[in-house]
Amino acid sequence: MKKVILVQRNEPGSDNGVNEGKLAELKELARAAHYQVVGVLTQTRYPDRKYQVGRGKVDELAVFVEVSGADKVIFNHQLSTTQIYNISETCKCEVIDRFNLILEIFASRATTRRAKLQVELARLQYELPKARSIVSLLKKDERPGFMGLGGYEDSYEQDVKKRIVRIRNEIHSSCKSSESLRSFRHERGFSLVALAGYTNAGKSTLFQSLVKEGTEVEDMLFTTLSPTTRSLSINQRRVLLTDTVGFIEDLPHWMVDAFRSTLDEIFLADVILLVVDMSDPVEVIRQKLVVSHDIFWKRIEGVEIVTVLNKVDMVEPDDLKRKVDEISYLAPHPVLISASSGDGFEALVDKIYENLPQWDRSRIALDMSEESLSMVSWLYDEGIVHSIDYGEQIVLDIEAREEILQKVSKFNIDDHRVLS
Amino acid sequence: MFSIIAVDISGRHKIKDGYYMVCAAVALEVSASHIESISQTAIKPFLSPGPPDVLAIVNIIEATVSEIESSGPIIVEKGDLYNRPEWISKKMFSRDMKYQESLSERLAIEFAHHISLSSRKLLMKELDIE
Ligand SMILES: Nc1nc2c(ncn2[C@@H]2O[C@H](COP(=O)(O)OP(=O)(O)O)[C@@H](O)[C@H]2O)c(=O)[nH]1
Ligand SMILES: [Mg+2]
Repeated sequence: MKKVILVQRNEPGSDNGVNEGKLAELKELARAAHYQVVGVLTQTRYPDRKYQVGRGKVDELAVFVEVSGADKVIFNHQLSTTQIYNISETCKCEVIDRFNLILEIFASRATTRRAKLQVELARLQYELPKARSIVSLLKKDERPGFMGLGGYEDSYEQDVKKRIVRIRNEIHSSCKSSESLRSFRHERGFSLVALAGYTNAGKSTLFQSLVKEGTEVEDMLFTTLSPTTRSLSINQRRVLLTDTVGFIEDLPHWMVDAFRSTLDEIFLADVILLVVDMSDPVEVIRQKLVVSHDIFWKRIEGVEIVTVLNKVDMVEPDDLKRKVDEISYLAPHPVLISASSGDGFEALVDKIYENLPQWDRSRIALDMSEESLSMVSWLYDEGIVHSIDYGEQIVLDIEAREEILQKVSKFNIDDHRVLS
Repeated sequence: MFSIIAVDISGRHKIKDGYYMVCAAVALEVSASHIESISQTAIKPFLSPGPPDVLAIVNIIEATVSEIESSGPIIVEKGDLYNRPEWISKKMFSRDMKYQESLSERLAIEFAHHISLSSRKLLMKELDIE
């Protein structure tokens, strides 16, 4: 794990609670990017053009970096090229800002081709205004060799612009690919469940607990896919559970597209677990839910939402009831849990099961043959085999999605249909 | 389950001699994410020589909703009330109103929108305008 130091400059006269909230979110983001936070520096002052924080604070930071062995420094502000350059020269280590950090998280979580392209696009858009200043900054410092480069300044910027155009085109033509990932997974008899909600709601904690509790389906194809997707069995139904970055507050507009595409995993799910931190004040909960509905609107069709009201262990029963009442009109299929203690998991699993895509049941009879035996194993992969009897014929009681039952419908022995 | 009344107004642009508007109100039962049932709809045409101000819009909505028997808050799109903050809009209505928030409230508004749009089309055709 790489070690990082976080730096935050607070505006003079700004609200303490708000500042603490911002710092807490930065910590969460650093954790999500798999950094180990070894220290935090804050300073209250107006921004410094050259260093963001004060010159003296940067010297202090440099010492801090050296003793703690930090690999990186993360500022909770957008930094100019000059500032990044100056701070990293002083601290002798890599310096990034909040937006670079969010881009890193997106990049590591982007699984679909489209999501990857969109993250790259956001990165280039972030780089574009800097493309010019990097060159002039290096010129100003009279680095040898730069004066002789002539048109480099223009061509660097042109290069970034060209790549932006190319990626935009590619995104346009690859819109369909994430859909195919979904149908591929469905073809393997899985239903898709994704965790959504704001940073710190408890998504990852719930993910870990569900994975630990549930019997994991052994399937190399999926367990190797990504560390944030696991296969589980929920009342015999095979489910792929995906943890996501979730929703992040105050995203700059140029990052919104990248953010939306990493949410593909959520929009393409069959069931969304919308995790809510019930220890937040009720007005905050309501606001976050409204934004969540806004994000879902027109992006999910036929996807069921289960609202996971988490951290009930932190709220007084009376208070909890009042909060639940107040937000119920924004909470589809609500269920109260504590992800850390495991309270309410049974109800949650039932809720997930109830909202999985409908599967139907059917009894079929197959003649004994090599072909039938391979069909039986295919049915085991695709659905649930409730019973199987090997007699003169192989008689199966199966549960599966409609396409599968359709394929074996000619072997159906339900109701009035008689064995031939 | 919650009772709501979703409203939408079509035709807020000038045609020939005025503004031919149609307001639709739909009474529904909704959960947080789905429309569960629809109990009543009401449609009312309004002709105005000039562009409707916010008070005119409020009157149009209240006149249409008065034909609905069910109770429940009126759900209005913020843009329909010229993006006024919700607490200001609330004061202009004689009954409970709010802007849409949940998926089901948005669906309900969308539904009302299709009704007002199609009935206005029919009206314009009958009047031989457009
Ligand atoms: N008390 C309490 N803390 C929880 C619960 N679930 C999660 N947390 C804590 O909330 C913080 C954020 O959890 P995390 O799973 O990382 O949230 P994420 O950002 O949504 O993935 C962590 O410190 C968790 O230990 C819970 O049910 N009760
Ligand atoms: Mg997480």
